[in-house]
This record gives sequence, structure tokens and C-alpha cells, in this order.
Amino acid sequence: MNLEFETVSYGVDDTSILTDVSLSVGAGEVVTVIGPSGAGKTTLLRLAALFERPTAGTVRCDGTDPWSLSRDERLALRRRIGMVFQRASLFETSVARNVDVGQRVRRPWSRRLRAFGRRLADRWLRDGPTVDDRALEALELVGLGDAWDRDAGSLSGGEAQRVSFARALATEPDLLVLDEPTSDLDPRNTAILERAIDRARERGHGVLLATHDMHQAERISDRVAFLLEGELVETGPAARVFENPRDERTARFVRGDLLYDENELLA
Amino acid sequence: MPLDALSDPTYLRSIIRLSLTVSLVAVLVSTVLSLPIAFAVGFADFRGKRFVTAVINTGMGFPSVVVGLLVWYVLSNQGPLGTLNLIYTPEAMIVSQCVLAAPVITGVALSAVESVDDAVRDAAYGVGGTRADVALITLKEARYGVITGILAGFGRAISEVGSVLIVGGNIAYADGTSKTRTLTTAIQFEVRKGEFEVALILGAVLLVLVLLVNGLVLRLGGR
Repeated sequence: MNLEFETVSYGVDDTSILTDVSLSVGAGEVVTVIGPSGAGKTTLLRLAALFERPTAGTVRCDGTDPWSLSRDERLALRRRIGMVFQRASLFETSVARNVDVGQRVRRPWSRRLRAFGRRLADRWLRDGPTVDDRALEALELVGLGDAWDRDAGSLSGGEAQRVSFARALATEPDLLVLDEPTSDLDPRNTAILERAIDRARERGHGVLLATHDMHQAERISDRVAFLLEGELVETGPAARVFENPRDERTARFVRGDLLYDENELLA
Repeated sequence: MPLDALSDPTYLRSIIRLSLTVSLVAVLVSTVLSLPIAFAVGFADFRGKRFVTAVINTGMGFPSVVVGLLVWYVLSNQGPLGTLNLIYTPEAMIVSQCVLAAPVITGVALSAVESVDDAVRDAAYGVGGTRADVALITLKEARYGVITGILAGFGRAISEVGSVLIVGGNIAYADGTSKTRTLTTAIQFEVRKGEFEVALILGAVLLVLVLLVNGLVLRLGGR
């Protein structure tokens, strides 16, 4: 899926959060949005995943404005996008059922009701739990193939986030939207997720990622977009943005110089 | 013999049967009415939401005698629904128990639904869920709170004395079996006769019944 932001703005009441953002993500491309907290990264990602409607401008999926479509047509587009949040937000059930939830909601209600009946019968007959092939494959991609029958509540933070990633992968989305998925993870779990992102790119998924980790952005991105106070300051190939930024504000940010008002900090 | 009242098992059986039937039907009807309201209020953002929530919470503390009086007025022969001839019947007791149990179930279920993290709803939406899927997943996440609400409603219904006494009348047939006599009104009746042992035994039966129903519902709920 090709995702395009055309001079997109978004605000709530009188507060502007994003202003005239233009950005694109192609198939098999990793685009990373960097920027300080409060820059509007999460809002941009929520717009990309069709959670929110722009207040001005257009978000296009394969050339189509989803917000001009019917609810069902937009749902079909939304189902081609997988989103991973900063917090894992797993459901209170087994790992397998967390991961295959995307497939289950795509089934017709009659099939879901039959499956519910079977599950109740299994429970009373004390049959063992089962796992869907695609869910298992997604779990294997994040190194948790043997954890499918565990309770989601028993996972560590890193494992939970990897399950959350597998949940998005299991629906085989064309575009992955990842909101700081490794911000709470240790280096090992971060490496596992980065490898999974690489694999997703190799399979032709587009990836739109937000991160605070400059090294990560440099490591895994094809292109980088620097967002500051709701405006896209600079976009370009990762190597160029990090080695030779065109805007002074980008240069200061990637160097690690804080973008703050020193007087405000000392007050 | 003070325990003569319990020597005939049909008396006790009829009281237990009526208590359970009235309370379970009242809780079932209340649940069917309450859960959609709890969901609608819990999911929607609208002007006056806090007022509606306050009204529901106030309903949780309705004095049962006042509810009994109101239901009695509505169902009595001179009342607006007097033609239905429901006063002093188990149906009238179900109505009054519904009025008492519904706000409890709605209030606790609403609180459970609202306590489900927005991030969980986002996750349900993010995997491609429709609004119905998000609602269903939220209900599953809130299930223990919803079950607690239903149990609290059942507790309120089966332990009710004041309103069922007013609208039911604590009537027994000539053969001693119950028409509108429940465990609670029977306890009150026995105490007034000075039959404390019988009242205590009926109290113990009531406690065991509540324990059994709670245990069964929790088991079905997977806890």
C-alpha cells in the first residue's frame, strides 16, 4: 500500500497538533518519524492508521481518500494496516487468542458464533487449547513461537510488546504503523523487534515508525522525517538526514542538543 | 415445638423456590435492561453524561421501602396499571426487585466498562475491529466487573424485604405453601411470631443459597 499525506493538518478544538504535513510511505519502505515529545508523532501515526480524520488536507491510501468512502470500504482499507502502540495493551486471554484476534474479527458472525460454541464445548470437555497457523508463524517471527499457550498476563513487558507486534503481523497488513514500539524494551527485545521490522520490509510491507531512538532510526530507516511542533521540518534518506541535515533544527536534534528554551528550563 | 413450621418440607421448598424464581427472573430482566445502558453510557461521550451517571449511582441507593410504595401505587387496583391485576403476585415482586437491582447492575457494569483502558479499545480497533467488535472485546475485558455487578444485583434482590412485603403481601396458601412469601419475608414473619429458631434456620438457608449462586456464577465466568 502506498500511503500519502497531502498537506494534512489536524487539531482538536482550537489547538493545532499537525500543520500541513506531507509525507509518503511506499511498499517495502521503512519511514521513521523522529521528533521530541509533543511534536505530534502519535497523532500523525493515528491519522496514518485511519484512527482519526484530518481536519484539513488528505491522507491517501493507494491514491484513494479513505474518508470519502463508505464505512465498510474504509474498514476494508483499515484492515490492510496494522498498528502497534507504545504500550502492548494485550487482552486478558492467552497469547494465541491475542495474536489471532485480527483474523477472528474478519470472520462472519455466523462462523464466530460457531467457533464460540466449539470453544465452550472444548472448555467443558477439557480439551487442550489450539493455535492458528498464521498466529503461530507471527509469534515465531518475534521469537515467541513456544509461548502461544501462555496467559498474556504472565508475560514480561518485552514479551508482551513482541506479542503485540505479532498481533499486527498476523493479519499480514500491507502497512505497519509502529508508535515507539521499543521505547520500553531492553536491547535484546529491541533487537528482536528490529529484526522483525526488517523481515516485514523484506516481505514488502511498508513501515511507518515513530521513535525517540536516533540510533534505531539510523539503523532501520530508508527515510527519516523530522517533526517539530506539528510541522515537518525535514524529510529525506536516513543517511543524508543524519549525516548532512539541511535544517539547523534537525542538526541540533540529531546531535542530541535539546530543543528547549534554556530560560524556561531554569525557571 | 418451635420448629414445627419446618417439619413439612413443602413449606420450606415453596419459599425457597419462590425466592429463587423471583430474584433470578428479576436479575435476568434487569441485566438485559442494564447492560445496554451501561454500554451506551460507557462508550458514548455526550452532554449530560455526568448527570446520567449520577442518576444511575443515586438509583443504587434507592430506599427499598420507597420503591415498594411506588410499585404498589402503580400496580394497585387504583393505580395506572391496576387493570393488570399484578398486586400481591410474584410478578409484582419481580417488578419491584427489578427497580432495585437494575441501577446496581447498571452502575457497577458502567464502572467496569469505563475502567477498561482506552489503549485496549484502540488495540481492538487497530486489529481491524468494527465498533461492535470493540464493544465485544471491551465487554470481555470488563467481564469480571460486569459479573460482580450482576451478583450485586442478585444480592440486592434476594435479600430484599421492604418492597416485596409491600407489593407481595407475604401471602401463604391455606395448605401452608407460599404464594408471595419469600425467605426474607418469612424470616420477618417468624421473628414477629417469636419463632427465632425457625428464622435463624431460614436465614442460614438464605445465606447458603446466595453462596451457591455466587459460586456458580463465578465458576461460569471463569474465575
